[in-house]
Amino acid sequence: MRSISTEAKVGLFILIALIILGYMSFQVGEYGFGLKKGYIVTAVFDNVTGLERDAAVQIAGVEVGKVEKISLVDGKALVELRILPNVQVEKDATISIKTHGILGDKYVDIVPGETKGSYIAERGQFQNVEKQADIDKLLVELGNIAEDIRVVTGALRKVVGGDAGESNLSAIITNVKELTANLNSVVKANDRKFTVLVDNLTSASKQMEQTFASLSEITGKVNQGEGTLGQLVTNKGVFEKLDNTLASIQTITEKINTGEGTLGQLVTNKGVFEKMDNTLASIQTITDKINAGQGTIGKLVNDEETVTNLNSSLKSIDKSMVGINRFVSKADQFRTFLGYRGEYFFEKSDGKSYIDVTIQPKEDKFYILGLVSDPRGRRKTYDRITDGVTVRTEEWDRNGLLFNAQIGKRFNDLLLRGGLLESTGGFGVDFFAMRDNLKLTFEAFDFDLDRDPHMKVFGEYQILKHLYLTAGWDDFLNRDNDSLFAGFAIRFEDEDLKYLLTSAPIPK
Amino acid sequence: MNRLIQAIDRFGRSILWYVEEMGRISLFFISALSWLVRSPLKVRLVFKQMEFVGVKSIFVVVLTGTFTGMVMSLQGYYGFRLFSAESLVGSTVALGMTRELGPVLTALMVTARAGSAMAAELGTMKVTEQIDALYVMAANPIRHLIVPRVVASIAMVPALTIVSDFMGIMGGYFVGVKLLKINEGIFLKNIYKLVGLDDIYNGLIKAACFGLILSLVGCYKGFTTYGGAEGVGRATTEAVVIASISILISDYFLTALMF
Repeated sequence: MRSISTEAKVGLFILIALIILGYMSFQVGEYGFGLKKGYIVTAVFDNVTGLERDAAVQIAGVEVGKVEKISLVDGKALVELRILPNVQVEKDATISIKTHGILGDKYVDIVPGETKGSYIAERGQFQNVEKQADIDKLLVELGNIAEDIRVVTGALRKVVGGDAGESNLSAIITNVKELTANLNSVVKANDRKFTVLVDNLTSASKQMEQTFASLSEITGKVNQGEGTLGQLVTNKGVFEKLDNTLASIQTITEKINTGEGTLGQLVTNKGVFEKMDNTLASIQTITDKINAGQGTIGKLVNDEETVTNLNSSLKSIDKSMVGINRFVSKADQFRTFLGYRGEYFFEKSDGKSYIDVTIQPKEDKFYILGLVSDPRGRRKTYDRITDGVTVRTEEWDRNGLLFNAQIGKRFNDLLLRGGLLESTGGFGVDFFAMRDNLKLTFEAFDFDLDRDPHMKVFGEYQILKHLYLTAGWDDFLNRDNDSLFAGFAIRFEDEDLKYLLTSAPIPK
Repeated sequence: MNRLIQAIDRFGRSILWYVEEMGRISLFFISALSWLVRSPLKVRLVFKQMEFVGVKSIFVVVLTGTFTGMVMSLQGYYGFRLFSAESLVGSTVALGMTRELGPVLTALMVTARAGSAMAAELGTMKVTEQIDALYVMAANPIRHLIVPRVVASIAMVPALTIVSDFMGIMGGYFVGVKLLKINEGIFLKNIYKLVGLDDIYNGLIKAACFGLILSLVGCYKGFTTYGGAEGVGRATTEAVVIASISILISDYFLTALMF
């Protein structure tokens, strides 16, 4: 196949470049080419500071045109707007200049008018032009207002100012103070009474309401002539009967007045009246006794102790609420983490696993409980005396798990912890860096007088939310046992465990 | 005293040299221009140079354009985010590419690729007396060697600039919209809104000027080479350095003139 000629290559390239140029021009010139579409409307503004050619014209935030031209006519700004042909603007529409965007671009805003059907024609002019808030004018106005305020405060100063005004003021204040104190004591003294009063009023008004309701029912019935009273009111015959009855009652009362009959005697006889008086007197005595605190009821009503008892029981309720509160907030603070950690020892080609639960009752306090499965097991030394020679043998007990139980406290970026490390006494120091993403740890445990303690340094870096990478140098003091290692750890917060722990009964 | 006079002497000489050099380049330009007008173009030679200057630079220009756009988008994003104006990243990239970076970077890349080659090629011809041979054969070297290169450069640098602009905006679009998740609609809208036709065309005019500068400097340096292979090397280096500096300096004045 003949290779492509130079001309073809150049031609193809130029063609591609021109196509791209054409594309970009059309994209960019979207408004450019269609610029002369639409019709012109004008508006006269007092001030068009900041408005530029090609600024947007918007109705309800939709761009409907551009500013075509700004010119000066009679000391005012004549703005010509090119509006899209399919947009019509009512004659009573309001036009104003507004600002938008962080760059503070000015644009022309049109608020549509009310009268549909009459629209601004080509080269028509807006009648309703909203004045732009002129900052300078605003400042002048503000200055005037401030002057007014100053006059007012001056007058006030004349009234209040000076020694006489001051003493007057202080006298007023003293009076007010006394008044409020008095009012306060009155209200305090009658607190209970007021409450009772209000309660009574409430129930009274309720009863009254019911009464009125039934009353209105009754009068309604009466009006309609229902029932006896209704008939009484509406029926003439009944009325006459009533008249008669009343007449007889009158006769009876007259008889009573004159002391005729039993009732008459009751009313007119002095002895009966005296008996009644005595009865009332004895009732008075009983209530007096109650008031004085005599008898059971009296005690109940008057004894101070009752009040004290009541008070103390309220207090104890209050205290227990505080306790509950503390417990609940503890549960909120309380955090528990579950973790797994695997390490691979390069020099031993062996792995080691840790599972631990970290309980964090406070932000800076930790309890760490854990299990360690060390394939090496624990180092055990045996002293055997054979033939008077002490032979020390070291063995690795491969069975069984090792335990971690530590208590830790954090100071800023430093976490100090100590306790059981791998079933031996020890301590550890963690240093946190990079917003806790990186943890540098030093641990020392398995102290023994005869040999160096087991020391371990490693770093742990958080790569994902719950996943950490780790690497370090284990037991670096013991040349025969030291090893570099690398591994990973998974650690996450466990809400379920937290509630389990906090809801379990905790002895105090 | 003697030393002072020497220093002044040296200073004066160097000034004089620069002035002379300017004059020589101008004369060179005029003679190239006159040959361009006086005789029909050697179309075949022009196409060959167009292929060399233009077609073979596409890859480099696409790469530089794309990555410039990408990095502008990234940097612009961090800046604009400070005042929540991420939507302006697109128009910043587009304006920057079309107005400045497209033409300038393209011209610099072409200088490095083709300008240096022109100086080296013509320099070698000069030191091996091939140019003199052309004179002897009554074939004017300016017509045969210089004019096609200048014409090709003036034509091809703008074409390459178009590609660079486009790829830069594409790169910016990719980083801004796809990686940094700027709203695509607003990103494009602002490009359409804020970039005008003038921006693109003025950039292309600049590019044509740069094409003239780089080809002229390259050819001139090659044409005035002396001193064997070492001279060819020196001419190449000088061509690239002078052309690059001239492009950057003239860029400022062209910008001030146009925008």
